[in-house]
Amino acid sequence: MNEGTDRPHRDEALMDAMMRARLTRRGLLKGAGRGAAALGLGAFLAACAKETSEAGFDPKQIFGGQPGDKINFANWPLYIDYTKDKEGNRYIPSLREFTKQTGIDVNFQEAIQSNPEFFGKLQPQLQAGQDTGWDIIVITNGQYFTALVENEWVYPLDPTKHPNFDQYAARWAKDPPYDPNNKHSMAWQSGFTGIGVNNDLVKGPVTKMDDLANPDKVGKGLVGMLKEDMPDWVMINLGIDPKTSGPTEWKEAAAWMLKQRDSGVIRQYYDQGYIDDLTAGNLSATMAWSGDVLYYKTWAGYDNLDWNFPEDGALHWVDNMLVPAEAANPAGAIELMDFYYQPEVATAVTEWVLYLSPVPATKQLILRDAKKAEEQNYKGYANKLFATAENPFMYPDDALLGRTSYSRDLKTDDERAEWNSIFLPISQG
Amino acid sequence: MAEGGTVLGTSGEPRSDERGLQTRRRLVPYYLLSPAGAWLLLFLFLPMLLLAYTSLQSGGILSGGFHFTWEFSNYVDGLQQYQKFFIRSVEYSLIVTFVALLLAYPMTYWIAFYGGRWKSSLLLLILIPFFVSFVIRTIQWKFILGDNGFILGPLKSLGLLPDSYHVLATPLAVVAGITYNFIPFTALPLYVALERIDKRLVEAAKDLYSSRWEAFRHVVWPLSLPGVFAAFLLTFVPATGDYVNAAVLGGPGTTMIGNIIQDKFLTQNDYPQAAALSVILMLGMLVLASLYARILGTEDSTIAAAAGGAA
Amino acid sequence: MSAVATEPREVAAQEFAPINAPRKRLTRFLLPTYTWLMILYLTSPVFVMILYGFNAIPGDRQTPKFWGFTLQWYRDLFGVAGLTSALKNSLIVAPVSAVVATILGTFLGLALGRYWFRGRAPVNFLIFLAIAVPEIVLGSSLLSMFVLANSRVSFLGSVLPLGIRTILVSHIGFSIPFVAVTVRARVQGLDRSLEDAAQDLFANPVTAFYKVTLPLIAPAILAGFLLAFVLSLDDFVITNFVSGQTQTFPIWVFGATRIGLPPQVNVMGTLLFGAGLLAAVANVVVQRRRS
Repeated sequence: MNEGTDRPHRDEALMDAMMRARLTRRGLLKGAGRGAAALGLGAFLAACAKETSEAGFDPKQIFGGQPGDKINFANWPLYIDYTKDKEGNRYIPSLREFTKQTGIDVNFQEAIQSNPEFFGKLQPQLQAGQDTGWDIIVITNGQYFTALVENEWVYPLDPTKHPNFDQYAARWAKDPPYDPNNKHSMAWQSGFTGIGVNNDLVKGPVTKMDDLANPDKVGKGLVGMLKEDMPDWVMINLGIDPKTSGPTEWKEAAAWMLKQRDSGVIRQYYDQGYIDDLTAGNLSATMAWSGDVLYYKTWAGYDNLDWNFPEDGALHWVDNMLVPAEAANPAGAIELMDFYYQPEVATAVTEWVLYLSPVPATKQLILRDAKKAEEQNYKGYANKLFATAENPFMYPDDALLGRTSYSRDLKTDDERAEWNSIFLPISQG
Repeated sequence: MAEGGTVLGTSGEPRSDERGLQTRRRLVPYYLLSPAGAWLLLFLFLPMLLLAYTSLQSGGILSGGFHFTWEFSNYVDGLQQYQKFFIRSVEYSLIVTFVALLLAYPMTYWIAFYGGRWKSSLLLLILIPFFVSFVIRTIQWKFILGDNGFILGPLKSLGLLPDSYHVLATPLAVVAGITYNFIPFTALPLYVALERIDKRLVEAAKDLYSSRWEAFRHVVWPLSLPGVFAAFLLTFVPATGDYVNAAVLGGPGTTMIGNIIQDKFLTQNDYPQAAALSVILMLGMLVLASLYARILGTEDSTIAAAAGGAA
Repeated sequence: MSAVATEPREVAAQEFAPINAPRKRLTRFLLPTYTWLMILYLTSPVFVMILYGFNAIPGDRQTPKFWGFTLQWYRDLFGVAGLTSALKNSLIVAPVSAVVATILGTFLGLALGRYWFRGRAPVNFLIFLAIAVPEIVLGSSLLSMFVLANSRVSFLGSVLPLGIRTILVSHIGFSIPFVAVTVRARVQGLDRSLEDAAQDLFANPVTAFYKVTLPLIAPAILAGFLLAFVLSLDDFVITNFVSGQTQTFPIWVFGATRIGLPPQVNVMGTLLFGAGLLAAVANVVVQRRRS
């Protein structure tokens, strides 16, 4: 971050003031949260959740007791709030605040580069029943999330221990189809997969999936597709609900993708590195994650880029916090996870990360911060905060959410094998 | 056939010697190789045994794990399904090795014969770019080779290339990327072999033969063959299994067997098939390398011996 | 002898001056120019990297567009959490791994190139396999092995926990074959008579080795060391699997490509490159002093 954006990261006074404001509010909210839990929800859930769950995991036992001194938190790169202190050293305000309050140290590592890689790394240890060294990991809903849950490699959460989540979490974050009743996970951030566009290179508006197969609109050899997201994304745009799809529908989607490939528009099938190509001008249009393009457009000055919500629907994905089995400090973990559902804390993260927050209350808080910045004459920063708060893709209304869908849950090896045999050959040409 | 640590004479034949010396000598090679050998046994051989074991398993990550069932179908299916990727990888890799040898030979020749005091520094200069992470290098190549980057941009604005021309996401970019990343592995063994050639032999050759080229062909080239073979080994073999360049610089139609194995392992969690494909790859490389050794007729056809020893 | 040999050649050179000129051009001009061009080509992405370390980008993720010059990333070098410690880890593992692998690999290469012994073929075979195995399966097999060992034999869990130690051990493991092949190639072509003479001269085989053999194979040892160093510094796949919670520079950088690299990565790369350059210059100075 530099002078160019006049984002006052160096002004610790401003950040401090905002943090302090959050502190006092948070104190209030925390108490309120506890109150609500004690009053109704928590007691009700506690009464129901007496029985132990699978594999003899007793959430009460696992998450009960005193939290330990340290939490090991694995996350994705650049996915949390960073700022600088007076000496110019970077630190994470939200984690510092947590430590100040609870006395628990957090070892935060950006250890996750991709879901399959991280899963492949943890799998031998989980299989052998060993402690992976992590108390919290962040995994996107999908094949690897399902594998972790189905194999009982993550702990079921104690529902009485996340009052902030109960009070502040968005509706879509509670009881999602890939993790009914939030048994194992709490959302960290979320986003949509849509169409990233370079307005200098496309010939006309690119707002539908079919545009991405149309050389007249996107040119030849200039389109990117995301390997992991594409089967579900294509199905959604063909009007198929992934949740109830079967091999017949999958083959329909595959047929569309083959048609797209044959039309010569495809540049590359990406695991994740599309954003470099998009900003470099090597792509006219691509499947893209909302936060990436939004970041470059808002904070990095790439006015020629746009992120479009596909007319026929977008894929909604969620990065979720999970507690791996044999974790050393589950009690501390769930406390930290719930900490991030306090609106003030969630605001700090979202203002930085620019993806969907699972806490809708952050919208108002961002607006408040924007107004404050305006008053203090940080005009550029304020405008960006306003843009963030008013972005419909960061705070989607129900209508927009209705046009999105989650990915298909593949729960057995046969399903996975069939899915992969239909879709992998397309990108593996 | 002489056994034990028999020293080979210049002709490659074991030398005769006094018995006492023979006994002591017999143990020397074992002393020399035991620390490395032990390390390799533990940290290479054992994992590869594990690999072979995994390749004969079946099961699934969601079906209660994998079990050893002598599942040879992993191999049969692997060969049938992914034939074209094996072939494509070998093709790319052969081109890579050939180009790398072509590029590296003149350079190492000059450094070895005319480098003088600067020899080791020049060698270091060749390698320093590779201290920087391959991710960074590959990303920078993407910048350089970008559609409107440093090279294509000016060419396009001059009208020398059509606007839609791109290097990235084509086999050219992949082969170029792999070649670039493996040049150190080609250059170093070549340098080592060239450097030890006695300059006086070269002088004598220049007197004997009418042209420089003849001198090179009859003296320098044959003497450098062990280096060429080593360069080939260290380039062709690992390059065939490369996946990074195809993943970052490639496009549809450039997928290599390394990417397939990567997908099988990470995306599909099909560990047995991934292992089987890897074993096929390794054995395939072994066959090709022994063929090459026989054609080249290296004094020490190590791999041929290995193949013979293994069979 | 050489005097006699050169005289007629020099005479011939004068007689056939036109033919001689192209020969001189080859070694005096073409080859060195080619070599420097190659070095330039090899270094080209690094030049881009150095340039972009000064890129005055808005935001904090690298972009292909060049916005102007700034030194802020140099000032803010350690400002990215995790990157600094990742670099530190890499700078510890690479030299140690290279040194150990060079020592072990040199002896192995010597044994293989010079002696005929039982088990030679299998050892060559093993080395070959080590070079041929795709990194991903080697990495995962190593991980499975470490995990298995740690769960069965509990004390191993404290000796070899997943982290720097397993990274180091694995790096040495896959570097040894590369060093061995390089040294072996050199040893194969050695003139035995020199070594026989050494054996006769020195009563102690160790001295013979030190005084005669070692200098003869020194270039191969250096080359092997450099190879092992680069292999370790650059390794991503195997390291990723066996590193547990530790991160090395390539791992960190690779992870950040998902969202965009911070420019500090370029700066650190520049510094690494600079350090290498310094070593090369220092080497030249040392060589000068020697002669």
